[in-house]
Amino acid sequence: MSKRLLVGVFESEDDTLAAIRASRQRGFKVVDVYAPYAVHGVEEAMGLSPSRLPWVVFALGVLGGGLKVWFEFWTTAVDWPLNVGGKPFNSLPAFVPVTFEVMVLFAAVGAVLSFFFVCGLYPAKRTVLPVAGVTDNRFAVVLEETDSTFEPAEVQKMFENFHAVHVEEQITGEAA
Amino acid sequence: MNANDFSFEPKAKLTGRLQALAGIGAATMAAGLFFAPQRIWLNLLLTSYYLLGLALAGMAWIAIQYVSGAHWSTALRRVPEAMAGVLPLGALGIICVLAFRPSLYSWTGGVHVEGDAPGFKLMWLSLPFFRVRAVIYLLGWLGFAWAMLRTSREQDSEGGFSHTRRNTSLAALFLVFFGVTFWLASFDWIMSLEPEWYSTIFGFYNFAGAFLSGLAMLALLLVWLQRHSSMKSVIREEHLHDVGKLLFAFSTFWAYLWFSQYMLIWYANLPEETVYYVRRLHGFWQPLFVLNLVLNWVVPFFTLLPRMNKQKAGILVRVSIVLLAGRWLDLYLMIMPSFSGGKPRIGLWEIGLVAGLVGVFGLGFLRALGRAPLVPLRDPYLAESLHYHA
Repeated sequence: MSKRLLVGVFESEDDTLAAIRASRQRGFKVVDVYAPYAVHGVEEAMGLSPSRLPWVVFALGVLGGGLKVWFEFWTTAVDWPLNVGGKPFNSLPAFVPVTFEVMVLFAAVGAVLSFFFVCGLYPAKRTVLPVAGVTDNRFAVVLEETDSTFEPAEVQKMFENFHAVHVEEQITGEAA
Repeated sequence: MNANDFSFEPKAKLTGRLQALAGIGAATMAAGLFFAPQRIWLNLLLTSYYLLGLALAGMAWIAIQYVSGAHWSTALRRVPEAMAGVLPLGALGIICVLAFRPSLYSWTGGVHVEGDAPGFKLMWLSLPFFRVRAVIYLLGWLGFAWAMLRTSREQDSEGGFSHTRRNTSLAALFLVFFGVTFWLASFDWIMSLEPEWYSTIFGFYNFAGAFLSGLAMLALLLVWLQRHSSMKSVIREEHLHDVGKLLFAFSTFWAYLWFSQYMLIWYANLPEETVYYVRRLHGFWQPLFVLNLVLNWVVPFFTLLPRMNKQKAGILVRVSIVLLAGRWLDLYLMIMPSFSGGKPRIGLWEIGLVAGLVGVFGLGFLRALGRAPLVPLRDPYLAESLHYHA
């Protein structure tokens, strides 16, 4: 399915944030915002819900730690019992440091991989930019033209109130 | 902004209550001298060491902010500064213990010489040298606190960057001095209660505990000042969030060191080392031993794990209270088994001195806080701190 998008290009961070807020106030759907650097407050302006990544990381940490405890127990007490200094085969205190490390490893590497997965990033992925300037000195707000009540000319006027330097319609989809 | 907006005067009712608590502490101490001298002196040692820990954590906080060039916390600096103002009170308690009751340390009745370096141990654990060391530590800390606080006050009237630069140098020197002396002080005052036992990580472990309790106190005081003073407009959610992150991190750091000490001794299994844990893992000591880990790590870790909880004032207050109770228990477990070997005793003597601790800290803190505007008004980094955005 193809989408009709309206892209507003701005020169300053404040204008961009104001344009995002105004768009949401009028009920337009803000698909994405592009900026050359991390802009404070853009998440709140876009009304993004809190990231679910922490839950994934927590689950991976528990999984990594759990697997490691089981593995240490199995190797030293079940499969090939080892007598170390007369301690019981299943000596939990000795397992703690490695369990901790593996938990951190799973959680940290998992966090990065999950982030890439959610963002659809992978090596050699082609960049898709609404306008080339967003890697340099321009900010872009992308709206979706959801229904027939969306009046591009009116929105363009609204964007120009916030000193938009350029507004254009784009059509994306399978063909694009 | 002007200085009058940020002058601070505590309510008479609050001061009255704190005075009552301090009075209870003093009365308990006086009665204890007659009825349970050994126990009350150990409790005084605990209380003074607790106070010193809070004050030095305030100093360490300020020093770390200067040295790392952190600007987000500039607006909050008067709070740890006032915590450092409690330093003389803690020092006084320690001096009383070392001057009037050195017999708390069993080695004063003859050193048990055995092991690797008997000569060194004999020299180190001699009462005159022990006292001289204590004076050096305490005078050093008080000197640094005096110098850094004075520079900060001068900046209030003169403004400019030179004060910040001078305090940054002082802070670097203080951190080095503090790192060595606090480590040695914990060996001297706490570890030598059981002179046959030793653990090289003990000093780091004590630093972690002291700094953690200082952070908890800082969080508590910030929320209180946010609610009851003109700092309401200054302390923002972002500031609390950062203090929450530090609490979370240092709770885990404490647990890391707690376990490091335990695991090495458990692994090596040498009788002269394990005796420390054997004493603390038998009978009624055991539940307290487990509770220590729960209060100082399990509760704070899982409560503060979600991002939102680190930002909420109400949750930070509750976690901080748990941590401050945990710090007391941690010290109780370090100090008391040397005396009441058989079973832990927590009674009126302990409760009385805890009341005294709260009262004395509160009064000392409020007095120090009232001496200067609540916000360092002419610090060049103040504006940055006020507009701090994580």
